[in-house]
Amino acid sequence: MIRLRALLHRREVEQDLQDELILHIELQTRKNLSRGMDPVEAARHARIQFGGVQQVTEECRDARGVNWITTPCKDALYALRGFRRSPMFVITAVATIALGLAIDTALFTVFNAYYFAPVNVRDPHSLYAIGSTGVAHGYSLAAYQQFLPQNSAFSEAFGYKGSEVRMNDRRAFGLLVTSNYFQMLGAGAVLGRTLLPGDAAPTGGEPVVLSYPAWQNRFGGDPNIVGKAILLHGYPFQVLGVTQAGFRGLGARPVDFWAPFNAAARFDQGSDAAGPLSIVARLKPEYGLSQARAGVTVWLRHLAGNGPDAGGVQGLVTSVANFKPWNSGNTLAFVPILVAFSLVLLLGCANVASMMLARAMSRQREFGIRLSLGASRSRLICQMLTESTMLAFPAAAIGFVLSQALIWLCVRVLFATLLPGIVDFANRLPSLSPDLRVFAFNLAAALAAAFLCGVVPALQAARTNLVQAAQGEFANAFRPSRLRNVLLVGQVTVCVLFLITTGILLRGTQQVQNLEGSLSARDTIEIAVHDKFRDRALDRLAVEPSLDLLAAAAASPVGRKPVVSVTARDGGASLQIAANSVSPEYFTLFDLPVLAGRNFTAQEARSGAPVAIVSQTAARRLWLNQGAVGQILTVASPTRSVRVVGVSRDEISRWIFSGEEKTLVYFPTAPRTGGNTLFVAVRGDVETARRKLDSNLAAIDPDAVDEIRRLRVRDFVREEAYSFRLAYWGAAAIGVLALLLTLTGIYGVVAFVVSQRMKEIGIRMALGASSASVSGLILKQSMRLACIGTVIGTVLALGVSKALASIIVMVNTFDALTYMGGTLFVLCACAAAGYLPTRRATRIDPVSTLRYD
Amino acid sequence: MAESLDLLKGTLDLLILRTLQAGPMHGWAISERIEQISQDVLQVNQGSLYPALHRLEHHGWIQAEWGVSELGRRARFYRLTAAGRKQLDIESKNWDRLSIAIGRVIKLA
Repeated sequence: MIRLRALLHRREVEQDLQDELILHIELQTRKNLSRGMDPVEAARHARIQFGGVQQVTEECRDARGVNWITTPCKDALYALRGFRRSPMFVITAVATIALGLAIDTALFTVFNAYYFAPVNVRDPHSLYAIGSTGVAHGYSLAAYQQFLPQNSAFSEAFGYKGSEVRMNDRRAFGLLVTSNYFQMLGAGAVLGRTLLPGDAAPTGGEPVVLSYPAWQNRFGGDPNIVGKAILLHGYPFQVLGVTQAGFRGLGARPVDFWAPFNAAARFDQGSDAAGPLSIVARLKPEYGLSQARAGVTVWLRHLAGNGPDAGGVQGLVTSVANFKPWNSGNTLAFVPILVAFSLVLLLGCANVASMMLARAMSRQREFGIRLSLGASRSRLICQMLTESTMLAFPAAAIGFVLSQALIWLCVRVLFATLLPGIVDFANRLPSLSPDLRVFAFNLAAALAAAFLCGVVPALQAARTNLVQAAQGEFANAFRPSRLRNVLLVGQVTVCVLFLITTGILLRGTQQVQNLEGSLSARDTIEIAVHDKFRDRALDRLAVEPSLDLLAAAAASPVGRKPVVSVTARDGGASLQIAANSVSPEYFTLFDLPVLAGRNFTAQEARSGAPVAIVSQTAARRLWLNQGAVGQILTVASPTRSVRVVGVSRDEISRWIFSGEEKTLVYFPTAPRTGGNTLFVAVRGDVETARRKLDSNLAAIDPDAVDEIRRLRVRDFVREEAYSFRLAYWGAAAIGVLALLLTLTGIYGVVAFVVSQRMKEIGIRMALGASSASVSGLILKQSMRLACIGTVIGTVLALGVSKALASIIVMVNTFDALTYMGGTLFVLCACAAAGYLPTRRATRIDPVSTLRYD
Repeated sequence: MAESLDLLKGTLDLLILRTLQAGPMHGWAISERIEQISQDVLQVNQGSLYPALHRLEHHGWIQAEWGVSELGRRARFYRLTAAGRKQLDIESKNWDRLSIAIGRVIKLA
């Protein structure tokens, strides 16, 4: 109560206290009078007896215990008054921190959506995926049915299995689930209903539940979808309902449909219909994770029976509460991005810190006076920290708004530049709306940044020498130049690092761009047929009037190919080389001319003759400059000898993450050989032809076609390169931001140095120094720091590009042009930023500077 | 007049609480009464009296009310609360133990 009153009615309480103390002194005076002192002496004596009124007042305030609230308030007010006097400082500092904060908050928003925000299902934090340390993941239906009875730690469990099939005529990803799936996850339907335990297959086909995005995107949000039949893998399924918009299931992959688990029989003909499924179970609240894990281990060992590895199996219980699981692998992948983003904030902090140092220096007189009036050093540090904290709040607010704008812009740009082939990617984005965690992060980062900016100037200010301050000499004890130099070197380092990294990525994208031009742009249709129906499908295709060219290959040109070991019989060079079996038409279809020798003949293709065609690069590596045609090649496992009949142009595919497949060996094969994928070129519109082919082939059997889709090698590669381009744009944006921050930092520091050395420059000029030598003096000082920073930054960039090269193949670690360009650019920019304030130094009028102060 | 003694640390609270047991009074009266009763042996440092009063009020052991002083001016009268009575009890017992202990040491050591 008393504390509240002291806070709310401060003036009243202060007045009361004064009255009380004055009354005491008056009563004492009266007593002294009665003892026979004269009035003046009595009053004086009473005051002496009482002691310092101010001091007692202060002690009374302390005793009331409100100082810890009122002091920061007063500091804040004082800081605000100071800010009003220097608005430019406040605007620059707040804007700098806000900018760094904005990109960090934007990054955290994305991070949060994937790793921290719980998935939108009922009580996600009690859900766990049941796994084991062994290789095999997945349980039989029988094992699933045993799971709950044998694991008392869990209250309920569902099983599921992912399946990629064609929905009507487009690829779709669905989950085959046990019937309690929706009930357990608490998902409702926006149309119709979801699967329920005990659902029997209705007449007209198995039931299927569509996801909201699938219903919107694939069926145009058809309000009468419930009860309609759709084709999954060519089989009719009846739509039972559509899930609510917010329901995305568990995991990061967007689900298009859910079907009952027993429908798996339709999709995997011939394979174990009750095939491996994953289990997600709900932990009872009274059980701990270790108990649950122990139970699962026992169950797993029981399942394995007396198998060879039954003893070594350990149960794993992993939370599925987040979009992506939180583990060390994921975290490591985020570290470089995190470092890059937080470096920008740190750059900003360095700028603001050096601004504050300059400000603290110009306030030396104020600190000196406060110290001589009896302020404690800790009180002074508190005051300075309060000031920097005051900057944090507006910075946090602006940074937050900026970050949301940034996310909005990025998503817009992403969608605008998205290639048609990866539009599905858009569905994969989780909701990026900010929540409490994002707010908390934003505020915490702002406060941390403000603290970082403020702590050094505060400590420096508190080092003010009282004696010198009292004598009117303020500047001498205060030499934070070494610290500022360190900050500047750090800024240049980070800037060079970012720019070189950006340059390396840019050169990579350029290389990608050049290569894209040489890739096949032909629009083809890729058809994977079931071997059982292969002959009938090929017969059907042979009579297709729109068909222009048909080729076959064991692996798609953009697919992963097996690697074999080959040895040149004459010359002995041996090579690990990607191998593909292709029909003669493959080279025509994908624009890969045979440069020397000849193509396979139809006869060789049918019989799989021991001949081969090698790519240009492979030929060069194996036989150097001698002709490859006619050479004998020994292929390992199964060991056989083949004769090289031709050399084809290098084929390039999948090279962003797995490298250029420049070395390739082709063996002959024919479309009728089992396992081969078919590629066709058609006359007229490709999409129309694809639909027609699809329906014609489905007429043979619903299950005849596994996959029928369009393939354009150039587009595919472009999609692969897309993430690479994103990385480049991201790095470029950060690099430019870093450059801007560094340049303003250098400008500020040099300007400050000039004003600090004003007197010295005046004397030099009075003694006859030319303006060129003066500006050289100042520039030399800043350029020395820039050079140190550049060297460190270049070394770091070498490390980073090496790391990049290990992830992305299209990176040239030792790109001299990039390094030279990057460092020169930064040095020139630094010189320019330093030159502007230097010019001011040369315009100094020696007489007036010498009189100054 | 006997030479006055400085108060032992921590005893001021006890003296204030004990003095207020006689009834509400204001700050000056408290210091006067302590000096009177101790026959001027104990001199209350007036500078520390008011912070002590405010501290005791903050603890809830005494309560302040505005009244009229002998000068006809308004003055803060302090009154012992129930919690204050309890505290007084505790502190006087502590004091008894302390003074007995010190007395023993002085006599026997």
